[in-house]
Amino acid sequence: MKIQAKPLFDASTIPGDLSPIATHLNPMLPGDWRSMRPVVDRAKCVKCAVCWLHCPVQCIVEKPAWFDVNLATCKGCGICMVECPHRAITMIEEQS
Amino acid sequence: MSAYATIAFKPDRCNGCNECMSACAAVKGSAGQIDSRIQIVAANDSFELAMCRQCGDPKCVAVCPAAALAKNEGSGVISWDGGKCVNCLLCTVGCAYGGIVHNAAAGHVVKCDMCDAAVAGAPACVKACDQGALQFITSARIYNEVGDLEDLFVPGLSGCQGCNTELIMRHALRRVGPETVLATPPGCIPGMGAVGYNGLTGTKVPVFHPLLTNTASMLTGIKRHYKRQGREMTAMALAGDGGTSDVGFQSLSGAAERGEEILFICVDNEGYMNTGMQRSSCTPYGAWTSTTPVGERGQGKSQDAKNMPVLMMMHNCAYVATASTGFMEDLYAKLDHAIAASKHGFAYLHIYSPCTTGWRFPSQDNIEVARKAVETNFVMLWEFTPEAGLTLSRPLDQARPLTEYLKAQGKYRHLSAEQIVHIEASLAKNVAFIEKLAGPRKPATAQQAAVRA
Repeated sequence: MKIQAKPLFDASTIPGDLSPIATHLNPMLPGDWRSMRPVVDRAKCVKCAVCWLHCPVQCIVEKPAWFDVNLATCKGCGICMVECPHRAITMIEEQS
Repeated sequence: MSAYATIAFKPDRCNGCNECMSACAAVKGSAGQIDSRIQIVAANDSFELAMCRQCGDPKCVAVCPAAALAKNEGSGVISWDGGKCVNCLLCTVGCAYGGIVHNAAAGHVVKCDMCDAAVAGAPACVKACDQGALQFITSARIYNEVGDLEDLFVPGLSGCQGCNTELIMRHALRRVGPETVLATPPGCIPGMGAVGYNGLTGTKVPVFHPLLTNTASMLTGIKRHYKRQGREMTAMALAGDGGTSDVGFQSLSGAAERGEEILFICVDNEGYMNTGMQRSSCTPYGAWTSTTPVGERGQGKSQDAKNMPVLMMMHNCAYVATASTGFMEDLYAKLDHAIAASKHGFAYLHIYSPCTTGWRFPSQDNIEVARKAVETNFVMLWEFTPEAGLTLSRPLDQARPLTEYLKAQGKYRHLSAEQIVHIEASLAKNVAFIEKLAGPRKPATAQQAAVRA
């Protein structure tokens, strides 16, 4: 007969609060890293979703007629500005 | 709400041949280029495009008093209804892009209808453009398919600005889904907070942090345990090129040889970027890293890179593929294939990830660098299954000059003419090797056609 591992203990006896596993999501938001802020020209946006596809932070949010940026998480990398096929996004300097 | 396909115009690639205008006129039965619904206009030293952009918030629709223009919620195309039109031409005044104009021969306004692209594959003008100046961008399809799925990483990960690895992680895990156990060996991926710290986690699925050496063997045990329990799940690794090709190679090779049911994704940024940009076996020849410095004696790395995906192919895994974030539709198709293969064997996906910090280029150019790597053949996109062998996802015979790729990055700034000759020579060898493995050309699949476009 094939040797099989035996259970070392009854798992149901482990107290539920003993686990060292992290259970809370990290609430850090990197929006304050930014030195440049993306601004979407709503008239130029055609909703092709290219900005969303290439945004590393995935901070692009859909609005009824355009795609906008969630500035709480946007790090200001500028990829959306370069990738937008209709040049609808510009980066402007953050003011204090 | 949804996203829509669009026609993009790159003026720097247009040569003013006007083939697009002829093609449009032919398809739509217009008199000639002058009546074409796409107009290329010479402006100074460049060209400009006048055609309907199918705006998100169309002014022509807003100003039409007869409700003859309407935006289709499914396709995004703005349609014109001849039965309702009163020929007031207000729409032609409303449009700032020259997208809807009066056609004297037809006696009414005409505008682009995207050639009913769902049937035709791509609009006639895009098909007629052999310069790549007009492109039919269909990546909205991915948004419509997966945009509603939850991003399984927390919103705040501390990857550098414009980090390609963060982009790959978020897309990959969202696609694989919540029934996943994720392993991330030391590198940028846990370093940016994916495994968390101080009781906080960065991932919404079970995640653990193996050693660099044992990612694949730990996942083996986890997958087998779940299998014994009868629970369906994906055992997934997100590892850097160090954790894959150098330190993690022994356990990876073992798991691949045993055919463990694991999805192993290598995010290749060509070095140990998390610990300060040291060279790895995936760092290419000539590249500056902190351990292959440029000075009196050294001129960057003096050895060629290891071809890691080919090594994995030689393990005869259930699925091996290379992908790039410059070609996202191809990447998504390969993700799907890899996930399916990981249910019955070892699936290995090698995704190239340009590193804005370590490769020395501005963060906004990240996708552009990824795209140039593929367009110059420096990175070759292919997939392998034991049944079909190696298949190219993109033909290798229309490569752009390699210097376009090298000049985009600071890590190659010091290259001498001899070093560039060396890189070009070894690249030519690599291309010939992959072409030999791919064998005689097979007819293009739909996926390949999409990547080419």
